[in-house]
This record gives sequence, structure tokens and C-alpha cells, in this order.
Amino acid sequence: MSTVLTEQNIYAAQFSSMRGRLPGNRLPWLERLRQKGMDDFLALGFPTTKLENWKYTNVAPIRRIVFEPAQDRPLTPLTGTLEIVSSASPRLVFVNGWFSPTLSSVNSGLNFHLLNMGQALQDPDRAGVIERHLGRYTGTSDQAFAAWNTAFFTDGAYIEIPRGKAVEQPIYFTFISADDGKPRACYPRNLIVAGEGSQVTVVESFLGFDDSAYLTNTVTEIAAGPGAVIDYYKVECESPQGFHVAVIDAHLERDASLTSNSTSFGGRLVRNDLNVALDGKGAHCTLNGLFAVDGQRLVDNHTRIEHMRPHASSRELYKGVLAGNAEGVFNGAIVVRENAQKTDAVQYSKNLLLSRDAQINTKPQLEIRNNDVRCFHGATIGQMDADAIFYLKSRGIDEVEASRILVRGFGGEIIDAIRVPTVRNELERLLDSWVDSGAPEARQIKYWEAS
Amino acid sequence: MLRIRKLSASIDGKPILRGIDLDVRAGEVHAIMGPNGSGKSTFAQVLAGRDIYKVVADEVTFNGRDLLQMAPEIRAREGIFLAFQYPIEIPGVSNLYFLRAAVNAVRSHRGLPELDAVDFMSYAREQAKALGIDDAMLKRSLNEGFSGGEKKRNEIFQMTLLEPRLAILDESDSGLDIDALKIVADGINAMRSPERAIIVVTHYQRLLNYVVPDYVHVLAGGRIVRSGGKELAMELEEKGYGWLEHERSECKPDRAQPSKNEAVTS
Repeated sequence: MSTVLTEQNIYAAQFSSMRGRLPGNRLPWLERLRQKGMDDFLALGFPTTKLENWKYTNVAPIRRIVFEPAQDRPLTPLTGTLEIVSSASPRLVFVNGWFSPTLSSVNSGLNFHLLNMGQALQDPDRAGVIERHLGRYTGTSDQAFAAWNTAFFTDGAYIEIPRGKAVEQPIYFTFISADDGKPRACYPRNLIVAGEGSQVTVVESFLGFDDSAYLTNTVTEIAAGPGAVIDYYKVECESPQGFHVAVIDAHLERDASLTSNSTSFGGRLVRNDLNVALDGKGAHCTLNGLFAVDGQRLVDNHTRIEHMRPHASSRELYKGVLAGNAEGVFNGAIVVRENAQKTDAVQYSKNLLLSRDAQINTKPQLEIRNNDVRCFHGATIGQMDADAIFYLKSRGIDEVEASRILVRGFGGEIIDAIRVPTVRNELERLLDSWVDSGAPEARQIKYWEAS
Repeated sequence: MLRIRKLSASIDGKPILRGIDLDVRAGEVHAIMGPNGSGKSTFAQVLAGRDIYKVVADEVTFNGRDLLQMAPEIRAREGIFLAFQYPIEIPGVSNLYFLRAAVNAVRSHRGLPELDAVDFMSYAREQAKALGIDDAMLKRSLNEGFSGGEKKRNEIFQMTLLEPRLAILDESDSGLDIDALKIVADGINAMRSPERAIIVVTHYQRLLNYVVPDYVHVLAGGRIVRSGGKELAMELEEKGYGWLEHERSECKPDRAQPSKNEAVTS
């Protein structure tokens, strides 16, 4: 107990010394939000495996390390490696949680708002919108990491699409983690506000660039107005020693639609909490996920879909490929409230184990408080099909290529549904290289260089 | 081309092939016929390198090289092709992608340059036409949701693209209507050449009306109990396999004899 207190005291001390430098430090409402986040984090402490939601994921390795707040370091060594070429699509790039104007590219004359959170908070109009949404969907009283992020967030991406506006190009939010000499924590905080009848595609990616321990503690809130259509892609490629804990909360109003596509390739321990509130008649979400884990790594995907109103529907498919001694967790909660008649929910978890020592814990969690619903869930766990391997070999294809083809076929169901070609192609390549040599190096990732 | 002496195979200790001798020369078409459970498919699978069987033989050589020492993918690259009785469905992998991977694996083994997606597409289209395979079928997931006839045609299509030296066709006629049977037979006949050998494994004589064999062998109880010319197939069609039963019973049970070469494929 005393050690826990000590660890929390370290972060309390960090908070006191850095809060004056954090964005929006002159906004009283944000000050209060941050303070509440800090108080909640101190009260909750790090989650333990005694909590149902953290049963299979032990965060002790994160707790044992003292993470310093990451610094905005000079990027000279990075720019060369990144080889970012000019892209038709706007992108916001953050290094260690801080905005990088040099790596970012935002065309002038956009008819929607796209800027980093720090800058957005300085504009009274934007700050007003942010005040209405920030922290409204992601609570801090029962989520320690989200509370921690709320207190500490350094910057992040902010996008606001006005009513009726359809943004054609995908928007890229890229988070790079780069060595600054000590274990460090990065705290990005993103907000996507889509007005009534608007449409936008966001590609959020996390790339680790070094081999020392670090933590990415990220929160993204998504507010979809009536009839808004949002495609949200998340690509996680942290370094082998990187920890990644993410909370994504989406709130959908009447007839709004969210398609989320979350892929995880890297990181030593990865936890994604994706929560969707279908808080309007006829709202719909499709949640697709693909994770490829090898070595001693762990990827944990928790999703929660809350059907709060009638006629809302959800489709969910998460697929895991696990090799070596890797562990995977899928926990999919579907909650149907009393008044959510005609709910239509389908959930699948499919998993492919490439080794005997790999492990997957997959669990649907249905809470249905209504009789007038259609709710289906299914889970499968399989191995590489020996007949299929022989078939491929009998055509001259060697073992490695055969595995690559079968894993690609398994992941294809997720990857082929991706509507942004550059992301789709890059994920295909990443999955191939994962089969060959495990978690890919961020240095090799180029998909945001849209052609 | 293919020389087999005393080939035996068993699975989980249960013998299936009990000493097969066979010689296949370039340019020849051999038909292997036999009742269900006689070991026909096992024979075909063993030649392709399926590793679930324990295989023992005095000799199995392909162009003078020990076939049993080769991994299945090496056999394929060296020119052995097996058309599967039950082709495997692989969801999420397009037929075209799979075919190009296979063709390029074989091409690079033979010292030929690999084909890129564009070149391969035009090559594949050309060959596909004769077999009634359209673009949609090329782009669909490998064998997934294919009808029985489509699967068999797809196997013949693969054979055409891979240009094997020895093609083994395992029941490529089963379940086909007469039109599909003719398409498959035409595909096989188009492959006949003085440099190439074909082994047709079939339960029925029907296919052999279109693909006329040079030799017919009857497999029963894991042994070749009779060999002859194409007229043997006619005889079988007329009399069934029953009249060969006495020959089968004359065969002596296997003795555990030490053999010159032993190989367990793995």
C-alpha cells in the first residue's frame, strides 16, 4: 500500500510542477477538469487483476517504472528517418505527445477546423466547443488511465466538422514516440466533433521509434451529431518496449454512424478500451479489430457498445493472430438498455493461434434489459490448417510464404474492408512482415505518405 | 521419369499401400483405377509429399532423383503436380494472388524471371478462357464458395499455369456433369506432350473415354493387381471390380521385409 502511495505521489508531484505549462492552463473549466482527473487517479491507483476489467492484463510492469513527462525534443534525427513526403492529405504529427509543426501539414483554406489542441484552446470559439465535449464522454471516476491522461495531457488533435460538410480526404493524426534518454510518458488527447450530417475519415496512428521503455497514455473522444458518418482508423505500432494504453469514447446521436477499425501490431503491453454509446434512434456502429502479437507481448482489446435508444444496430468483428508466448484478450460488452427496442447487435471474435504457447482469452459480455432485441455473438479459436498448408506447398509455395498467405487470408476480412487504400496496402504489408519477423519497425512504416 | 519399387504407406500404423511397383515414362498417360478404399488417393497424396503417411519404399525416383527426400514444395517446383480430389478453400486469399505466388515459386526455381501482377494477369486470363474461368472467378477467394465443377476446373487451370512434368489427377472427374467433364478432359488433353507424363486416378471409366490412357492399372487392397492397355478400363466398366477380387485374395499379406531405402516424410 505504501509503495502504491509513493508511486502516486511521484505523479502528483509531477502534476504540480508541470500543470502551469500545460495547454489551457488559464481556462478555469479545464483547470478543474485536470484537477479532478488527478484526484481520481490518486484515488483509483493503478488497476489490479482483481478488477474484472483487468483480470487478464497485469499493469505491474507499468506501475514499477517511474515515467517522466516526455519533453518536446528537437527532431533533427527524426526528420531524415521519417522520409515524409508531401501528402495530399492533411496531417497533424505529434512527437512524445507534443505538437510538431515541422512534421505536420495542414492546408490553408480548409472549411472545417483542424488544429492541435493547444492552439484550439487559445481560440475562444473553439475553446467553447471543446469545453462542451472534452471529458464529457470519457469519465475519470472509474478509469485510472483516462483520469491520468485528463490531468496530464500535453496536446493532441482537434477536428471539428461543421454541419453538412463532407470531408473527402482522410485526415491523419500521427503520434511518434522518440527516445529522450529516460523512461517517459506521452499523453495525447484527441477530440473529434462531427456536426449534424457531416462526414469525416480519421486515421490515428502510433509509431514507436526507439527501444527504451515508454508509455503512451492516450484518450480520444468522438462526438457524432445526428446523421454524422465517421470512419475512425487506429493503427498501433509501438516499439517492442513501449506500453500503450488507450481509451476511445464515441457518442453517437440519432442516425449517426461510426466505423472503427483498430489494428495492433507493436508494443510490449497494449490495452485498448473502445466504448460506443448509441445514444440516438437508428444509430449504428461497426467495430472491426485486428491484432497480431508475438514474443512475450500482450494485446488487450476491451469494447463496450451501449444500445441506449430504439432501432440502433452494431456489428463487431475482432480478429487476433497470436504467435510465440503472446497473450491476447478480447472482451466485448454489449449493453441493451430498457428502452432500446429493436436493438440489432452482432459480435464475433475470431482467433488464430500460431503456436502452442500463445494464449487468447475471449469473452462476450451481454447485458440485455429488453426483450425486443436481436443479439448474436460468437467466438472461435483455431490453429493453422495443416490441409491448407499442404495444398499451398503442393503448388511450390514454401512454408513461410504459406503461413503468410494464410495469415493474410485470416486478416483479409478486416483489412479488405478498409476504405482508405494507402492504409489498406500498408496494413497488408505490415501483416506480411509481421509473419516473417514479428512486430514491425516503425521506421519501415510509410502509410501516411499518401500518394 | 517416375520409377516406383515396393512403395508402402501407412497411417497411424494402418497399412494402406502394400508394395506398389510402377514405371511411368515421359509422354505416357497412366490410369489408376480401383474400388473405393483401395488406396488410390493415398498413392496420389504420397507422390505429392503429404506428411501424414509413413512411407517405406525400395525406390521412388523422379528423373533419377530420390523423390521421398524432397519436401512437397520442392517436388512441385521440380515438376510434380497433384490435382486434388477435394481442393482446399482458403478464405480471404484471392485465387489470382495464390496462383501468382505458386507460378512465381516454380518459375524462380527453374531460373525464370518472376511475373509481376500485370504480366501474370494477362497470362492467366489467356489460359483461363479455355477452361471457362472468368475474371470474377480469378478474383474470388481461393475455392471459397466454388461449386464442385468450379473447383475441379480451377485445379486443371492451376496445372495449365504450372506446366508440370508429371501431373497426377486425383478423381478430377468425380461429380462433374458431361459438359464440365469435357472441359476438364480437354484441359488434360491439351497438356499431353512427349515431355510430360500424366497419371489419372479415377473410380470410373467415363473420363477415359475422353482422356485415352496408354496404360491402365487396377489398384486393390493397396496393390496393383492388374495392368493392361486401355481395353482393361472397358472390361472394368463392364464387369465392375468384383471379378478381380480373387486376384486380390491371392496376394500374400505383407511381410516385414527389410528394404533398401526407408523414408518417413516429414
